[in-house]
Amino acid sequence: MAIAVFIVFGLLAIAGGIGVITFHQPIRSVLSLVVVMLSLSVLFLLLSAQFVFVVQIIVYAGAVMVLFLFVIALLGPARESARGRLRFQTGLSALFAIAFFGLLYAMLQGVQYRQPDHTDMNVFGTVQSIAVGLFTTYLYPFELTSVLLLVAAIGAIYLSRRDES
Amino acid sequence: MSGTLDIGGSQLDASWFLLLAAALFTLGAVGVLVRRNPLIILISIELMLNAVNLTLVTFSRQLENLEGQLFALMTMTVAAAEAVVGLAILVDIFRVRDLEDIDDLSELKG
Repeated sequence: MAIAVFIVFGLLAIAGGIGVITFHQPIRSVLSLVVVMLSLSVLFLLLSAQFVFVVQIIVYAGAVMVLFLFVIALLGPARESARGRLRFQTGLSALFAIAFFGLLYAMLQGVQYRQPDHTDMNVFGTVQSIAVGLFTTYLYPFELTSVLLLVAAIGAIYLSRRDES
Repeated sequence: MSGTLDIGGSQLDASWFLLLAAALFTLGAVGVLVRRNPLIILISIELMLNAVNLTLVTFSRQLENLEGQLFALMTMTVAAAEAVVGLAILVDIFRVRDLEDIDDLSELKG
């Protein structure tokens, strides 16, 4: 059962990823990315990461993607010129992709896994266990991310203001 | 130590998830290299960040250690901040100049 879920949603994620880089209209790329994110959220659930699953759907497939759609609606239709100025770019990047994926594949062949920590899998990945980690050991990084979000919000407002002068 | 995960009675290997994440990351990298629409470049970066998240959650499950999931949540925050600032810059550029594609922004070329 779990294997079938993995195969279906893994293939869906790959198909969405190919869609992201091949569609010529940005709106189709964004919708392909939504497919990738929803498939990945199912895989997160398969890996017993319930909280990450919910956050992935709400924050990514919800908020970030709506932001992208708004910007596409604001900018209008795509104006990507039909052919690039660098003709060797496509061939070179295909070569890079094959080399890079081959490197990762070769690395995965010899990977040695550490012995698991044997925590209680019944509460693994629940909101409670995540919250205990976030508000005790990782309190300082957690507070820093709130500063980061504040800086990003101020930066976005500053960048998108109208020039009155 | 093998990376076999027992999920609902089925045996899955952690390397399958890692291979899927590697494939998605490669697709995102190719998108950044090949596409010249700045919006699609940003979308490809989001794809790569998602692939990294899958790696983090996979190792979190394999090690039965929650730190990977916590780190994935931090990555999502950074990705959201990056998308917001990147899109704001993009809208600002498009307001000032009429771009054909990203190659038009070459003033800093030496």
